[in-house]
Amino acid sequence: MNGLGRILLVEDDPRDVELTLTALEEYKLANEVVITRDGAEALDYLYCRGEFSSRSSENPAVMLLDLKLPKIDGLEVLQQVRSDERLKMMPVVVLTSSHEEKDMVRSYQLGVNAYVVKPVDFHEFVNAVKELGVFWAVINEPPPGSIKKAP
Amino acid sequence: MPAIEIEATKKQLSLPDRNKSVMMTDYVERPTGVGVMRILARWHLESQGIRLPILRYGFSVVCVAIGLGLALTLQYYQFRNVELPVLTLAIALTTWYAGVGPSVLAIVLSTACFDYFFAEPIHSFTVNSQNLPYFFTFIAWAVVVSSFSVARRRIEDNLRQARDHLQVELEQRKQREDQIRKLNQELARQAAELEASNKELESFAYSVSHDLRAPLRHVVGYSELLQRQASSLLDDRSRRYLQTIVDASKRMGNLIDDLLGFSRIGRAETKKTLVNLEQLVREVVKELGQETSGRDIAWKISTLPVCYGDRSMLKVVLVNLVSNAVKFTRTRTPAEIEIGCADGKEGQAELFVRDNGAGFEMLYVNKLFGVFQRLHRSEEFEGTGIGLATAQRIIHRHGGKIRAEGAVDQGATFYFSLPRSKDTAERTANTP
Repeated sequence: MNGLGRILLVEDDPRDVELTLTALEEYKLANEVVITRDGAEALDYLYCRGEFSSRSSENPAVMLLDLKLPKIDGLEVLQQVRSDERLKMMPVVVLTSSHEEKDMVRSYQLGVNAYVVKPVDFHEFVNAVKELGVFWAVINEPPPGSIKKAP
Repeated sequence: MPAIEIEATKKQLSLPDRNKSVMMTDYVERPTGVGVMRILARWHLESQGIRLPILRYGFSVVCVAIGLGLALTLQYYQFRNVELPVLTLAIALTTWYAGVGPSVLAIVLSTACFDYFFAEPIHSFTVNSQNLPYFFTFIAWAVVVSSFSVARRRIEDNLRQARDHLQVELEQRKQREDQIRKLNQELARQAAELEASNKELESFAYSVSHDLRAPLRHVVGYSELLQRQASSLLDDRSRRYLQTIVDASKRMGNLIDDLLGFSRIGRAETKKTLVNLEQLVREVVKELGQETSGRDIAWKISTLPVCYGDRSMLKVVLVNLVSNAVKFTRTRTPAEIEIGCADGKEGQAELFVRDNGAGFEMLYVNKLFGVFQRLHRSEEFEGTGIGLATAQRIIHRHGGKIRAEGAVDQGATFYFSLPRSKDTAERTANTP
């Protein structure tokens, strides 16, 4: 384990954001989370546009992506990311309420790294998010060009 | 002597005559209005066949009279030996347009005229023995001509009738084709409607899956956060209230998940392959290990056939049936669960899952497979009441049947049939 990767959370529901952050906090991962509230904002962040124009241009270690989002939905964001030379290596995890096979198949077709259905049970939810955070931000070695905080 | 000849001719020709009149009535009585062609055909026939007897015989007389007049006129202008062809023509015309009876009359009349006006001695009906061969030739000729005419007319009538019949058939076929086309269009429309409503259902299920689960997750999440945060400040009753909120929400989550699963079964396409049911059953039993740990369960799994079906769907069926058996034998030590294969109908394998659990009253057996139908109180045995409905849906989609037998406190047996794979026998023989 060498340092902490930045997590980009794309989630429109503030309660889900809070619950996700609560889960990540238990492993002290919450500080490295950037929150964007819709697909357009997420792309702005990734392309360093708009309010994110001043950030350093490295990619996050992982993007936790909801599918149902205002403006640009998760699958469109994923498609955009995978078709961009600079972004396409970035790990993307879909974190959604959708159990639908259609969504799952489409996500994998677009090259998602993992597909996680948010469990209704809070403990399971916390565990799922925690494990995701730990794996992608700590254990996994992200592709070159990702933001990493020194340990 | 000519009289005898004529009698004979009449007898010979009377049969076709009657037949023809029958055919004509047939024709008139048939329903009209099957197209312009038909009306034209009728008009043609009417112009050919004069129907009133007086008219027909009158026509015969008129024809012979005109023929005689023509022959006499020609004779007057020194044309010799024209009377025979002219009178024969008159007979032929009569036969053609008026039928057999008038033609006989025409033959009699023209014979008489021939005798009176042209055969020696002229202007007398006396028959000279010299002219006898002429007479016979004339009569024979007349009979041959009229027979030909009658035969030809009969054939024509038959042909016409056959044609009309064909036309009617053609019309009817066209009508039937129109009907079929209409039915097809109706079917296509209904299929489109069905597809639309299916799509609607799909998007409905999709939003349920997305939008209904999110608030539920929040209710559970925040209740648990509250429990964690304020547990020490709350009294026992408040803690119980909170716990009830959490439990109820989780239950609702399960309900939504099961209902979505049920609706998904209806929409998903089946991907059929050969499924080794025995392997699948063992897999399912292994996966239920969490529920069965610490329980005393005597499993009995017999040799099961290889079937043709959607593996993941069949797994859902087995998970439902086996976990039901595990659930409803909770009060039994030891619990006995048997999974075996009974003799099904030809081409089908009938499997059963038998337990010695709580069972049910056969009176309510038809409620067992309904959505949200439960035969036990939820504090006795938890559940959403969707599992068996889902199982039934899957089995029906495989063209099989599912049924249950049981008695209160004497266990239950669930039977379901599946299409066997053709080479099942070999495969089961090869399986150790």
